[in-house]
Amino acid sequence: MTQTILRARSEIRYCSVCCNMTDRDPCAICSSNNRDKSVICVVKDPRDVVAMEKMHDYRGVYHVLHGTISPMEGIGPDDIRIRELLSRINDGEVREVILATNPDVEGEATAVYISRLIKPLGIRVTRIAHGIPIGGDLEYADEVTLSKAMEGRREM
Amino acid sequence: MHLRELILRNFRNFDHTELSFPSDLIFLIGENAQGKTNLIESVFLSCTGRSHRTSKDREMIQWEKEEAYVRTKVDRKLGDSSIDILLRAHEKKRVRINGEPIHRLGELMGHLNSVIFSPEDLKLVKEGPVERRRFMDMELSQIRPKYFYYLQQYNRILNQRNNLLKEIQSNPSLAKTLPVWDQQLAETGSFIILQRHAFNISLQKIAREIHSRISRGSEQLSLVYRSSIPYQDAALEEIRQNFLRELEIRQKEDIEKGRTGKGCHRDDILFHINGMDVRLFGSQGQKRTTVLSLKLSELEFMFRETGEYPLLLLDDAMSELDSARQRMLLEYIGKVQTFVAVTDQDQFPEIRGRDSQVFQIRSGTAVPEG
Repeated sequence: MTQTILRARSEIRYCSVCCNMTDRDPCAICSSNNRDKSVICVVKDPRDVVAMEKMHDYRGVYHVLHGTISPMEGIGPDDIRIRELLSRINDGEVREVILATNPDVEGEATAVYISRLIKPLGIRVTRIAHGIPIGGDLEYADEVTLSKAMEGRREM
Repeated sequence: MHLRELILRNFRNFDHTELSFPSDLIFLIGENAQGKTNLIESVFLSCTGRSHRTSKDREMIQWEKEEAYVRTKVDRKLGDSSIDILLRAHEKKRVRINGEPIHRLGELMGHLNSVIFSPEDLKLVKEGPVERRRFMDMELSQIRPKYFYYLQQYNRILNQRNNLLKEIQSNPSLAKTLPVWDQQLAETGSFIILQRHAFNISLQKIAREIHSRISRGSEQLSLVYRSSIPYQDAALEEIRQNFLRELEIRQKEDIEKGRTGKGCHRDDILFHINGMDVRLFGSQGQKRTTVLSLKLSELEFMFRETGEYPLLLLDDAMSELDSARQRMLLEYIGKVQTFVAVTDQDQFPEIRGRDSQVFQIRSGTAVPEG
């Protein structure tokens, strides 16, 4: 048991590509041949990668920021992994960046900041939709969620 | 709207109290510091999730207790509902509606609405703009959950932006992140301004009528909404653009001062009687009449917006009014379920004998009379 914890401590590091936690570099997702390296999903922390991977549906790769911009906590854009994201994009190959930070004030600010940096490079920038949970009943959704869902409605 | 039941545990000076209110007129009678205002407060808490007299939930929990509990049962047009609020000394409060926990306080808004009237309301016309913004916010939050949500967002963004402005003083390179906060501030702020604009127009219509009746036609009341962001057409996009421009123009000054100088956190309402600013030039009597007009307009506004009258909570409010104004207030009692906290029932000669309930409040107990 102690051995395992010690090994975990010494072997776990950040992936040099996506900044996720890993025991080998590059991580399993970044080194896989089955993943589409031209689509990057940007998330706040490693737990979000785990959540996204559970859907078994997303075939692109990730980028973990390890935080969001928050002046109240003294966190600026240089304190999270935005520079690493930009250098990945500068290496070419990337067609689309999906911004999947949380729909709170800080997540939104971080998403807007990143999109302002990379949109001029001619790369497609998207933001995940927010709204009614699947299996949820419209009747029980609160008014704010409903109104966000209305804003994000799409053509059929 | 009808409050049917109120259950309190360890709430202020009430250990355990269960009250039911079949009547539409409830008197809470007792000497000072016996608990009248605490009962009013517990009802207000059930409406908004907050106290009307303190921002610290801890103060509502009985001395040396860990938790306080308030349960209300409400009859509404759309059906009955129950609201449970558990205040905890060291953790966030928990709220359940019909037994279902809610995740944001905003979800509570609108289930039980009230208008509260106490002597402190004179601050509305006497003091600074903070009170008047609170007045708009309380009213709009109760009828529009989205307004409450945007207001919370706005305050958080503003706080972040002000922190950033101070950081920029020592690290100018951070100025590059200012636009992302400006954009969000303008987006939520323009929504708030538009809602306040519309609210003032609707409220003025109602308040003018009421005020004219109280003053027997001699006074015309106007509400002038003063936003620190200029606009002409009251269109969302126009306000948003102007908001952004104001932030840009003042950027240097904002950074120097370390705070945001323009925005809806600087809004105000001016009250005019026959074109004259009541706060600066009104008599005591005119100030009192203005507050009464505004409070009664709140009731009417909520009725027009939601189709139901809210509860009316009168906390020692009658002592401030002369008999003509009292009569005006009493007209509404009967249309609206009303809780009246007073030291002496004899203050109400006109409504004694009406179908009412009387509770004697003594050191944290409420004993029904008769």
